[in-house]
Amino acid sequence: MSNIAAARIQREFKEVVKCDEAAKCAIKVEMVDSDCMELRGEIAGPPDTPYEGGNFILEIKIPETYPFNPPKVRFVTKIWHPNISSKTGAICLDILKDQWAAAMTLRTVLLSLQALLAAAEPDDPQDAVVAKQYKEDPQAFEDTARHWAQVYAQAPCNNPGCSAKVNQLVDMGFTETASREALSMHSWDVEKAVEYLMS
Amino acid sequence: MASYYDEHDCEPDDSGVHRNLDLLQFARMLVENSDMLDFDLDLDFDGFTLPGERRAPPASIAVVQALPSIEISAKQVQMGKKCPVCLLEFDIHEKAKQLPCQHQFHSGCILPWLKKTNSCPVCRHELLTDDPDYEEYRKQKEKSKEKEARVESLHNSMYT
Ligand SMILES: [Zn+2]
Ligand SMILES: [Zn+2]
Repeated sequence: MSNIAAARIQREFKEVVKCDEAAKCAIKVEMVDSDCMELRGEIAGPPDTPYEGGNFILEIKIPETYPFNPPKVRFVTKIWHPNISSKTGAICLDILKDQWAAAMTLRTVLLSLQALLAAAEPDDPQDAVVAKQYKEDPQAFEDTARHWAQVYAQAPCNNPGCSAKVNQLVDMGFTETASREALSMHSWDVEKAVEYLMS
Repeated sequence: MASYYDEHDCEPDDSGVHRNLDLLQFARMLVENSDMLDFDLDLDFDGFTLPGERRAPPASIAVVQALPSIEISAKQVQMGKKCPVCLLEFDIHEKAKQLPCQHQFHSGCILPWLKKTNSCPVCRHELLTDDPDYEEYRKQKEKSKEKEARVESLHNSMYT
């Protein structure tokens, strides 16, 4: 890795560790390998959102050309959000693409992702199915996002309605993950989810 | 919640907030001016999704060459002033390149960035580019902003 990239990441790493948000456990970053090419980020789900109480893990890959090019960031924790792929965790956020600026840091990236969880941009979606639900059936979106946060991000108080429906499909012989995805995609309509799983 | 803009103590500029609208406008303008279609854009018109990587072109070579070099003062060093690109503190009497927005950088840090794109890494202040199509687009954007402002002031004068 180039000297400027490695040296800068080390400085930024210290900045994140001692920042106010880290003290409040809102953001966190850890080294994955010793040469700083890969880091593991963590953000807390923002309050008053379906992600509240959840803890979301991010894979952060630093390019050789950092900070002239943005870090490559992906959600490792599965999440239901219009701008994040529910399958791969890929993120659609302008600052991670063409709106990147060399003065941005790991801290600004993590805070921007947290802000994205609090304010989705459904007109610039990464996951078309989620974005459609977000616009057309906000209640189903909220239930689904909350359920995913509980199952995958350890958010408290499980939604018994969603879990019961997942179990219903599991009892029919489908895997839990496939059942959850099918139900999520079809706004928790059991009949439609089964139809989808059978096709 | 703190954001990039809070952090850098500046307002998001319109090009960031209305990026998609701007791009759509840019796309329309290109379609309307077919002689400009040689500009490498790769727009895919599959609806509303425009491709992600749409960075503004490099800063004008002449403008970059003319950027002033300033000497870092003792006061700045005392205040722990850092180069925003490498995040290293400046040394006393060290030379820095200054952009028109007054932001200062090591020349080895800012020059590679301006070869990539025309805006200040801190506040996104845009420098002139050597790309006539982009400059034309910028002019159009400026015009439509003025038009919006005129409509707004007309609206205000009618309803106040
Ligand atoms: Zn520097
Ligand atoms: Zn600036």
